[in-house]
Amino acid sequence: MSGARAAQLLSAKLPDAVVRREEAYGEETVIVEAEHLVAACTLLRDDPDGQYTMPLFVTAVDWPDREPAAPRYDVVYQLRSLRFNDVCRLVVQVSEEQPVVPTLERVFPGMDWHERECYDLLGIIFDGHHDLQRILLPDDWEGHPLRKDYVSFGEPVAFTHNIEWALPAQERPPGMPGSSR
Amino acid sequence: MAAVMPPGGPPGTDPFDAGRERLGVPVEIDSIELSQIGEDTMELNMGPQHPSTHGVLRLVLDLDGEVVKDCRPDIGFLHTGFEKSFESHTYQQCITFTDRMDYLAPLINNLGFSLAAEKLLGVEVPPRGQYLRVIMCELTRIASHLVWFGTHALDLGATTPFLYAWRERETLLDINEIVSGVRMHTSFIRVGGLMADVPDEFHGMVNQVLQTFPKAIDEYELLITKNPIWVERTRGLGAITPDDALAYGMSGPSLRGCGVAYDLRKAQPYSSYDHFEFDVPIGTHGDVYDRYLIRMQEMRESLRIVRQAFDNLPGGPVNTSDRKVALPPRNEINTSMESLIHHFKLVTEGFHTPKGQVYVPVESPRGELGFYLVSDGSNRPYRCKVRAPSFSNLSALPHMVRGELIADVVAVIGSIDITLGDVDR
Amino acid sequence: MGLSDAAALSGVALDGGPAGLLHAEADAPALPIPRTGARERTAVQTGVITTTVGKVVAWGRYSSLWPALFGLACCAIEMMATGNSRYDMSRFGAEVFRASPRQADLMIVAGRVAQKMAPVLRQIYDQMPEPKWVISMGTCASCGGMFNNYAIVQGVDKVVPVDVYIPGCPPRPESLLDAIVKLQKKIAGEPASLRG
Repeated sequence: MSGARAAQLLSAKLPDAVVRREEAYGEETVIVEAEHLVAACTLLRDDPDGQYTMPLFVTAVDWPDREPAAPRYDVVYQLRSLRFNDVCRLVVQVSEEQPVVPTLERVFPGMDWHERECYDLLGIIFDGHHDLQRILLPDDWEGHPLRKDYVSFGEPVAFTHNIEWALPAQERPPGMPGSSR
Repeated sequence: MAAVMPPGGPPGTDPFDAGRERLGVPVEIDSIELSQIGEDTMELNMGPQHPSTHGVLRLVLDLDGEVVKDCRPDIGFLHTGFEKSFESHTYQQCITFTDRMDYLAPLINNLGFSLAAEKLLGVEVPPRGQYLRVIMCELTRIASHLVWFGTHALDLGATTPFLYAWRERETLLDINEIVSGVRMHTSFIRVGGLMADVPDEFHGMVNQVLQTFPKAIDEYELLITKNPIWVERTRGLGAITPDDALAYGMSGPSLRGCGVAYDLRKAQPYSSYDHFEFDVPIGTHGDVYDRYLIRMQEMRESLRIVRQAFDNLPGGPVNTSDRKVALPPRNEINTSMESLIHHFKLVTEGFHTPKGQVYVPVESPRGELGFYLVSDGSNRPYRCKVRAPSFSNLSALPHMVRGELIADVVAVIGSIDITLGDVDR
Repeated sequence: MGLSDAAALSGVALDGGPAGLLHAEADAPALPIPRTGARERTAVQTGVITTTVGKVVAWGRYSSLWPALFGLACCAIEMMATGNSRYDMSRFGAEVFRASPRQADLMIVAGRVAQKMAPVLRQIYDQMPEPKWVISMGTCASCGGMFNNYAIVQGVDKVVPVDVYIPGCPPRPESLLDAIVKLQKKIAGEPASLRG
């Protein structure tokens, strides 16, 4: 099963880091503490039983109102081991008020851009990153588009059932997006 | 230091020496330390409108003369917001988005997303569907490599390969057109199988490709592989060690160029790739020339796979029999009320996937293309992160071009074969 | 000026009247087609042709459009296919893709325009010398297409003026060729003083 090796390794050698293990669809997810993330990834990279040397990506999933209550963001790390031919997934849960995780760019140079992308699109702050700037969007962009509360409107499309979309902004009903009234 | 003087001094003297004396500049220039020059670098902007950046890539280069001291890529000029769009469309609608992500290998994008959704659904595609997926994906891989070949050679000054490669590519686009009606963005591979079974003309056209392409690739290699200019410009250039390549998350031919024999089609076979016999070509030096050789060889290996899949193409349906995922056949709709309801539900609402998260990688022409799909049980992906191979490969570019000449930067960009649609998504 | 060119010009000129280029009415102006009638032969043989400066200028403009070598996304691949062996855009005199916008007079906006790209695109347009024309290639460039979201400009006509829109995702090479022919007809009908 994909990811089981990493989960066992972390449970055996760094039990403090592991919050919980979840398994579904033949993929095991390890939820780790943010403060142990760098140690956990270094262990997974360097341990002879780990050898997760290839960073695949880091991203985050936004869960604004999770039941039961849990921190808003899942920061997801995916690593690959070529030697053992499998992948593992680590998840760090961070809160809405403090979406901060330590940077992994000194463990995996390839995480540099992925962390910038995650900051750009989801607003996760990677503590210690040398150049945490927007990467895909213009520098003066406001907001983080992949958050669930970011309304992604290009331009309204007028169909017969919402013909008012075709109205110019000043004639749209008040309260409607884009309305100037 | 304008020490240029028209030639014509006494025989045996260097015209430049004479010029320097005349201008009062010391002849000995070796005494100038290179490091001193290095403090005064020039910043040069390359792109986003540049013919050799393969799209809208912008590079900020710190130059010392012609030597690249540092390179800072600036991306995002084609950021399309795919991942946000996925969240507001049903799974079948998302397939059309995946086409446009890596627009040189649309079918492989389709396949990656379909496999991820199928993993969530627990759906198995029948053998004929899997084999046809393999055939179409390998033809797409060849088409993608042909674009790479043509443009990469064009960047380095060889015009003929561009014309040759596109001549062959048109025949592959014709196959796309005969199976799906579209030349490029076919959306042919869908969740649960394919758009439709292939028409009769398909067989003749694939046969034609299998007969003509080996000769065509021979022709390309004759033009380029031992061409002294080509070898001089690419050998030893942009080399990267396997460890560095892995640390940057490089994959695909760029990683195999360093000698790492990792190909997901072999390592973690999907869509019945384990039924076929093929080799994974690897390089030794990790330079531009090795990456070139690997891609040329990969086209031949892809032809081998297509040949095997084509010869052993099983019969039967191409779509899963799960009517909650794939559309029922037309004749069934006419006779069965239940099929009509399924058809209506699928078209209007789509299917719902169980809750959970999966990561499914496929081998795209550029490397590991992964779909990390999170489902909340609705008919739309809750979150879909695309692990784009070009993004990681490009992040290693500064490492590869440091210390090279500025004219070689385009060669290195061409050799990692990025698609900006894949980088920026 | 070659013989056939002279014939083309004289063919138009001798026709005169409302069908002439400068007098184009609302109906689409006809492209001057080289003709080999008796009157034209006479014109060539005598070495004298009569025409107007406007017609010569328009003829020069539409006969050799130089597109900027500027691709954005998927449509750029089809644009390359159009310039390539099978479709061969040079048949219409528009194959000389210039890498520098300073040397180009036609911008083919091939692909979706991201918000980050829009100012760059405008700058490239501004760098092109007058007279200049714009073809919006594909649905994304024309109206945003399927990407109705935060990242994509909903139509390149919000940034630069567009002369010809091509539908399709991506449009077939034939569509691009058709757009070029349509643009040529449009240029043929423009007075020389209209631009630049």
